[in-house]
Amino acid sequence: MSSLEAARDLLREFPVADGHNDLPWALREQVRYDLGARDIAADQGAHLHTDIPRLRAGGVGAQYWSVYVRSDYAGDQAVSATLEQIDCVRQLLDRYPADLRAALTAADMEAARAEGRIASLMGAEGGHSIADSLATLRALYALGVRYMTLTHNDNIAWADSATDEPRVGGLSAFGRAVVREMNREGMLVDLSHVAATTMRDALDTTAAPVIFSHSSSRAVCDHPRNIPDDVLERLPANGGVAMVTFVPKFVLQAAVDWTAAADENMRARGFHHLDTTAEAMKAHRAFEESTPRPVATPATVADHLDHMREVAGIDHLGIGGDYDGTAFTPDGLSDVSAYPNLLAELLDRGWSRPDLAKLTWQNAVRVLGAAEDVARGLRTTRGPSNATIGELDG
Amino acid sequence: MAELRYDSGPGVGGMDGPAEPLPADPGAPGAGGPAEDPGTGLLDRAHALLAAHPVADGYSGLPWALRHLPWFDLELGESAVATDVPRMRQGHVGALFWALHLPEGLTGDRAVSATLEQLDLVKTVVRAHPDGLRLGCAPGPVTDVRHCGRIAVLPGPAGAAALGDSLGILRSLHGLGLRALTLSGASWASEAGLTRFGEEVLREMNRLGMLADLSGASADTLRRACAVSKAPLLCARSAARALRPHPANLPDDLLAALGAAKGLCLVPLTAEQTGPSVRDVADHLGHVREVAGAHSVGLSGTYDAGSAHPQELADASCYPRLIAELLRRGWSDTDIALLTWENVQRVLREADFTAREAQRRREPSTLTIAALDG
Repeated sequence: MSSLEAARDLLREFPVADGHNDLPWALREQVRYDLGARDIAADQGAHLHTDIPRLRAGGVGAQYWSVYVRSDYAGDQAVSATLEQIDCVRQLLDRYPADLRAALTAADMEAARAEGRIASLMGAEGGHSIADSLATLRALYALGVRYMTLTHNDNIAWADSATDEPRVGGLSAFGRAVVREMNREGMLVDLSHVAATTMRDALDTTAAPVIFSHSSSRAVCDHPRNIPDDVLERLPANGGVAMVTFVPKFVLQAAVDWTAAADENMRARGFHHLDTTAEAMKAHRAFEESTPRPVATPATVADHLDHMREVAGIDHLGIGGDYDGTAFTPDGLSDVSAYPNLLAELLDRGWSRPDLAKLTWQNAVRVLGAAEDVARGLRTTRGPSNATIGELDG
Repeated sequence: MAELRYDSGPGVGGMDGPAEPLPADPGAPGAGGPAEDPGTGLLDRAHALLAAHPVADGYSGLPWALRHLPWFDLELGESAVATDVPRMRQGHVGALFWALHLPEGLTGDRAVSATLEQLDLVKTVVRAHPDGLRLGCAPGPVTDVRHCGRIAVLPGPAGAAALGDSLGILRSLHGLGLRALTLSGASWASEAGLTRFGEEVLREMNRLGMLADLSGASADTLRRACAVSKAPLLCARSAARALRPHPANLPDDLLAALGAAKGLCLVPLTAEQTGPSVRDVADHLGHVREVAGAHSVGLSGTYDAGSAHPQELADASCYPRLIAELLRRGWSDTDIALLTWENVQRVLREADFTAREAQRRREPSTLTIAALDG
């Protein structure tokens, strides 16, 4: 049996529980949630990384759908947009009941696996989605959101982002209250996107295991979006899970450097580096033609996993592809059907079947169950908090 | 056995009775009291009737009132508000809507966030009082809650601004338990009536089983809503304009239209809208029953919403006095049962049936206000 066949065989028993997929935002941007215009029961390869046939081909058994909203949405605007994103996921669940199953707990994930459906969970990407309100945090939990990334690309008032200037220096007092309230609800604290200072503060504060829904290793590729070794080393004690991401500009050093040069090129021509207007894209394409983009592969991602395994241990690894949340993907990991290629690479490197089962499925299920257990305990000892940022951060 | 909770037979009036003088009390001031002494017999009959057909109260302002209290216990009794579990038990309240209306000026995304916080408060308060209160978000569960001897709390109505002009947000709020929405105070439900987006909101509410409240809406909005809605409409706080001019009170033509559409006019127990005495309230109830029909009249305590109440109807314990007055006026037991409980249950059931039907026929709408209203 070839390693690819062995990978597919393994995924039939222990499918991928992926930490991050931006399909809802893609549906919002492309068709304003007109799900009929992007019927994911059919091939949407022309528009999306994700559809049901490719999820099936990729051996995906659980997916955290990101209910991301832009971090420049101000205050309550982010809350409103997050509610629309949540509604989008609920509509997907209503529309494709034979393939998708709503999952709110670890037990739901296992039930979905037993039925051969894809457990569908939700994760909010950035604390801006709660507009500094613990009540709104609880509302998101009540609507089914099971993790919240503390920041996105920009700082928020109570937490520093990895890709912004340090301001709070990690988590503020209110930020720690948010983490404690997430513990109490049973919502996983996601430390992708946050500054290393925020990661450490969150690990000092949390009573439950944390996750990194889509982050790789900073020692392998020096990008602020990745996890430093000192933080990875804390995962065994915390019980958390770091879900490796595939985004080339985070995982491949040459791609990091290329992206920096490309951004510099845009700025030199008077564009914001994320500008997607026709003129800006023209300038970007010109750069790309003169300087070929370095290509990541499954081996690039496997390098990260090898290192993360050495530092954090096999019980603390997972996968968070960030499909439909990134323009570029590695060759050989171009869409959600490609997970078997990564597993084949790991098999070739000598990863055992039990190791891979932990990576794809078991760790992700365990960490959600652990958060539920912690919440059950905390709810008996304290009521919901209505602390405000004004009270705590002054 | 749960029925015993509502029971307050003859002989226990002294324990169960309100602290204020009973209508039968000769010391009661003539201005507010019934013209004739209804006698303890009527009050006992009122208690017995309410034990079987408790009050489904269409409007309570409790969430906003509690928001500003540092501490409260609704099960032990809470003097800072007019609604608590002991007084609701005395008043035979079996279910009530907890309004999530926001102060003026909270609009747009701020209104969405504030509504999430209000819904969170409702859940927190209900969970903190498990012996008295329970969420009852659908007609079946409301009945279940009653059979468990608890008082069913239905979150709503919220103001139209709570939607942030988005049907996705409407569905998320429904997912969080919101069961009624007032169609006024938004660009799509204004004095000018319902816009095309406003009609789409109403159709989506029908699909979800969320009740539409038209109190305070313009006449045009109410008429259009009667035409568009497949489920019965509520006017959660409206009395008879023919008896008392108030902008939220309904003129006879609208009362008749509401009745013809099998809607429900819930008469508020506020001095401003109905007048200063129990008799005034009874006059309004009689008028609405006459014009809209016995199947289209209900009660809306409107406690803790900042309004003054008629004498002897100061808090949630006072419903038996009102029912005694209606009995004195010759209301049949059937009409009283419709008034207090059955009409609201019917509207909840019909909204539920409509939703089930609509969900088979209609996809969730993703139309936007920009697409429909330009």
